[in-house]
Amino acid sequence: MRKRKSAAAALVAGMLVLVACGASDGDSGSAEASGKPRVKLVINGGLGDKSFFDSAHEGLKRAAKDLGYELKVVELGSDRTKWEPGFEDAAAADDYDILAAGTFDVTDYIGDLAPQYPDKKFWVFDAPVDYSGKNGTCSNKCENVYSVTFKQNEGGYLAGFLAEKLIVAKSLKGAESLKKAGVMGGVKIPLIEDFVVGFKSGFKAAGGKGSNVLVQYVGGDKPFGDPAKGKEISNAMYGQGAALVWPVAGLSGLGTFESAVAAKRYAFGVDSDQYQTLTDPAQKDTVVTSILKNVGNALYKAAQDDQKGSLKYGAVETVGLAEDAVGYVNDDHFKELVPEKIRTELEAAADQVKSGSVKVPSAL
Amino acid sequence: MSSGFDVVLSSAFLAAALRVSTPYLLAAFGGLVAERAGISNIALEGQMLAAACTGALVAGYSGSVALGALSGITVATLLGLLLAALRLELGADAIIAGIGLNLLASGATAYAVYTLLGDKGGTSGLDSGTLPTVPLPGIESIPVLGDVLSGQNLITWLAFLTAPFVAWLFYRTTFGFHLRAVGEMPDAAASVGIPVRRVQYAGLALSGALAGLAGVFLSMGYVSFFVRDMTAGRGFIALAAVFLGGLRPWGVFLAALGFGAAEALAVQLGTLDVPPQLVSTIPYAMTLVALALYAWRRKRRGVGQVAPASL
Repeated sequence: MRKRKSAAAALVAGMLVLVACGASDGDSGSAEASGKPRVKLVINGGLGDKSFFDSAHEGLKRAAKDLGYELKVVELGSDRTKWEPGFEDAAAADDYDILAAGTFDVTDYIGDLAPQYPDKKFWVFDAPVDYSGKNGTCSNKCENVYSVTFKQNEGGYLAGFLAEKLIVAKSLKGAESLKKAGVMGGVKIPLIEDFVVGFKSGFKAAGGKGSNVLVQYVGGDKPFGDPAKGKEISNAMYGQGAALVWPVAGLSGLGTFESAVAAKRYAFGVDSDQYQTLTDPAQKDTVVTSILKNVGNALYKAAQDDQKGSLKYGAVETVGLAEDAVGYVNDDHFKELVPEKIRTELEAAADQVKSGSVKVPSAL
Repeated sequence: MSSGFDVVLSSAFLAAALRVSTPYLLAAFGGLVAERAGISNIALEGQMLAAACTGALVAGYSGSVALGALSGITVATLLGLLLAALRLELGADAIIAGIGLNLLASGATAYAVYTLLGDKGGTSGLDSGTLPTVPLPGIESIPVLGDVLSGQNLITWLAFLTAPFVAWLFYRTTFGFHLRAVGEMPDAAASVGIPVRRVQYAGLALSGALAGLAGVFLSMGYVSFFVRDMTAGRGFIALAAVFLGGLRPWGVFLAALGFGAAEALAVQLGTLDVPPQLVSTIPYAMTLVALALYAWRRKRRGVGQVAPASL
């Protein structure tokens, strides 16, 4: 028995040594060989969400292809307890020049790590680190961190504006008598509320009543990964007279498109072009347009600017409609469902926001 | 604006309550059977997840929804047997082994989907279909009742039939007597010639199969695809229903139905001007109230002090 145990221990130890060697060999080899800037995308979640992280990944892949970056992706999974050690490991490994990470959840980790690795660069998307350094993070004022945030309220404004215009013009076949629209958020946090606040303001700007916007949050254990609950909530919204529902809830939103098919109603996509990512033709047909929050474009632009040396570290950049970081899908399917008059009005509304003549309220 | 009272009586709410309750009911009965067999099945969550994933994948690749559902249930049954084997053959702690199986299911399903489809999110790119719904000709046209009952998924009906089935199994069959005896006091059961291990294996297999049916419902009834970790804690809520129901079939039935109804209510009320944080506490607040009521009633009847099971 004892013999067997020690043999097993030796085997495990041997495997660890092999793994460790393998990793360090590979890393130093690739680093020496190419002088390319190495960017490491660390995801506090997983790829395959068909929107947010996939968009970030796509943008950096494009940067790798066009601009000669070397890209490495680390997925930390949905278990929050693994995020902090995951970021510490990722930052400690000397296999990158730039560490990219996103969402509000990572700002404290990056704020802690950036001062420890002053010769590395950090890109944080969709939330800023605390540059003031007053709350225990960013002891070096995060002068090696670039943050980019998005005006998702501007995207929400266009969604709400379009929704009410479609309702008033009775353009949605099968939903002509309905007056309401729904927004299904993942959780009630300021970032998600920013979409909602924008939607409501656009809906009202187009002449709709605020009380005709139904708002609900998925919540629970997996707010961005519970399509069954997403479908149930969408069922309820369509049942209460919503002509269309806009899910802002990651994979939970996939339930909305199924619900829309069953109810013979409509939906908007979010973050990525969901008309493209869905495969079922019946579900595709329900997607009027997708409100894009183009994380990928923002990261691509960061990569471009960094090569030119013009990327502003130690500060946060906020991008929106004017920078093409937020927008909507204007494809043939959209043109088929939305009459030309409304499309023109929507473009005008977008121009007003871009020029600053319309200020969209924000929840941030 | 419609009041909360209208919502509760609406057919939309009642139909939703049946749908939302389905996975809770099935998984809770799975948990109940295992608990009464003397092995806590904390792996309900993982068994549901494995079944949901297997079901969608097999149905997608074979084109047969029935084959997918059967495969899903089979995998969950095997996980039930694996838990029993870890407990009975290797003497592992059932809770630790259960946690292990849950982690395994979460990782293995994500890995399987990525390997086969190259998609890290789920199987939404695979056309796997859903199990049939049951139309009820005749009842369909009755105003509220028709909207509530007709068109529910086949598995929803099975879930509701599970309650009388488990009650019958526990109290009317030899296997049920053996199962309860084994769970209560294995040594005494063995002394009168009951094959303890065989009964426990059978109990855990049935437990896994029921959890599997719950999982298949999620990916092949509720929605038509699998998403990573889509069970979202339902297995644990079902486990809470097992104990809230006092380890009795009809008690568990009411508890699981209560959880489902509370969640459906939260969904229907969610669009009203009620703070969402408050609404989402309904299922949990209900649990506390129910537990308090239960304890209070026991105390009044003078059975507050329960003898430890080992005495």
